[in-house]
Amino acid sequence: MPIFEQGEVKINVDEDGFMEEPDQWNEKVALALASTEGVDNLTENHWKVVNYLREYYQKYGIAPMIRKLCKETGFSLKEIYDMFPSGPAKGACKVAGLAKPTGCV
Amino acid sequence: MNKNRVSEEERARALKPTKKPEVIQRQRLPVRYHVEDYDVADRPRRFLEAFAVILRHSNYRFALEHFIRMSAKCSRCSVQCQVYLASGDLKDIPCYRSELLLGVYRRHFTMGGMLKGRVLGDSGLTDEMIEEIAESFWNCTACRRCSMECPAGIDHGLITHLGRYILSEIGIAPRALVVSVREQLEGKTGNTSAIPVPALLDTLEFLQDDMRETKGVEIKFPLDVEGCDYVFFPAVSDYLMEADTLMGIAAVFAATGDSWTTGTGYFDGINYGLFYSDRMLERIVKKVHAEAARLKGKNILIGECGHASRSAKYFVPTYCGGERALPVINIMEYTLQVLREGRLKLDPNIVTEKVAYHDPCNIARQGWIIDQPREILKAFCKNYIEMEPHGENNICCGGGGGTVSIDEIRPYRTTIAGKVKAEQIRASGCNYLVAPCANCKKQLRELVEDQKIDCEVVGLHDLIYKAIKFDKKQQKK
Repeated sequence: MPIFEQGEVKINVDEDGFMEEPDQWNEKVALALASTEGVDNLTENHWKVVNYLREYYQKYGIAPMIRKLCKETGFSLKEIYDMFPSGPAKGACKVAGLAKPTGCV
Repeated sequence: MNKNRVSEEERARALKPTKKPEVIQRQRLPVRYHVEDYDVADRPRRFLEAFAVILRHSNYRFALEHFIRMSAKCSRCSVQCQVYLASGDLKDIPCYRSELLLGVYRRHFTMGGMLKGRVLGDSGLTDEMIEEIAESFWNCTACRRCSMECPAGIDHGLITHLGRYILSEIGIAPRALVVSVREQLEGKTGNTSAIPVPALLDTLEFLQDDMRETKGVEIKFPLDVEGCDYVFFPAVSDYLMEADTLMGIAAVFAATGDSWTTGTGYFDGINYGLFYSDRMLERIVKKVHAEAARLKGKNILIGECGHASRSAKYFVPTYCGGERALPVINIMEYTLQVLREGRLKLDPNIVTEKVAYHDPCNIARQGWIIDQPREILKAFCKNYIEMEPHGENNICCGGGGGTVSIDEIRPYRTTIAGKVKAEQIRASGCNYLVAPCANCKKQLRELVEDQKIDCEVVGLHDLIYKAIKFDKKQQKK
């Protein structure tokens, strides 16, 4: 299993860089993962998306429907793409420490 | 010069290795898709054993016997293959690809081949040949357009499927598909996107609220209702990705008042077995049928998804009781029927943009669903245009055959496999590209993004949702 290391952060990830153990997530991990997604700095807006994903994931065990993510955070899909260039499923979810989405996602 | 041919620079980008050298060495597989670790020892023997078992327990031998006699390797298929048209690599010509497997069959499973091997001292299948098959058979998108041109009637898509099936039996299959199928068959959630039931319920409630706000109508997603006319199975990923498609379908049922339901016991139409394994295909199809039977439904209704529709339509009868099995229909068949009956009213003044329709290979190639969606679209889209070629001779989105789920090969899909499609979309100048298939939608969105084409990829019911009209009585509800 590949290990991702950056500064103090050391976590197990899959080949695509998604966390293998989402329980190990914290804000430092989020910053480190963001840097692999071409996001150098997490602004307040980034955190709004990440925290919402995190909360939903802890409650339901999966990411929310994309439409719901947009509605609840108040961002359009385009704005989310601007913040996370790989998009909500591959970019934002990775930073929020969720496992890699499976199926036709 | 072929205008679809990629440049050397594009080729390098598309075929760039995705794996670390130590992984390639450990798995002895120089392919671009990820594979879970498997037993690499003695691969040729195990490949042949798996091949032999499959031949014994299936009807593939009849097809292969026919194919090895008829294959003239004439390469007429080359003009049809969107992968070869873009790559220009002779190894991408469909009958070259098929010959990789037909050659193994001829050498090891026919009397003539075995004798010839002995006399000429040909030692048969090697590790290198397995590696070439593993690479080649996942470069194909299994769209079967080549079989439209083959004068000998060879079904290269079937050969691709068989080759992938044999490989998967010795542990070589894209991890993206394997983990999804494992979750579907053995995981806690029982579906490919790993959506737990409480999350499904939350999503449906969210969509119902959204419809109340936007349409002023109380529209439900009925759950676990017994005895309905239709038990609904979309590509389960729609519950994460395709709000408008699902709302459009729910709105059509709200307008007609027909009974439909989603089962919380099983709600996934996806069947990756169709792409790489008959064993998985059978187990998944049985789950679909069992849930519809549990709910005493009259029909299995598949949502906007090509391969889900084909796998259910053609394999529910095979594995679930032949004529006694429940009938399978695709949502577009239903929607057309109620439109013709005058039970669905669509406002022709809402969608005024240029609309083009992309045929998903799995429902169009055999001529099953081609005219139905066009009749629906033309009924309310003022500016419907046609791309050429289309219908049963359509061009694949470039992500067929399960390749769309393999994220690590996105550069291959959007640079080589989807190149011809990209040029076709660009030439059409459409604003909306309608693709009633979860697989095609994902690929086409990535394609228009990577190829910088200005159009929006939507489902057919997304547009219906924009244009649907409810009568006053329904709006008061």
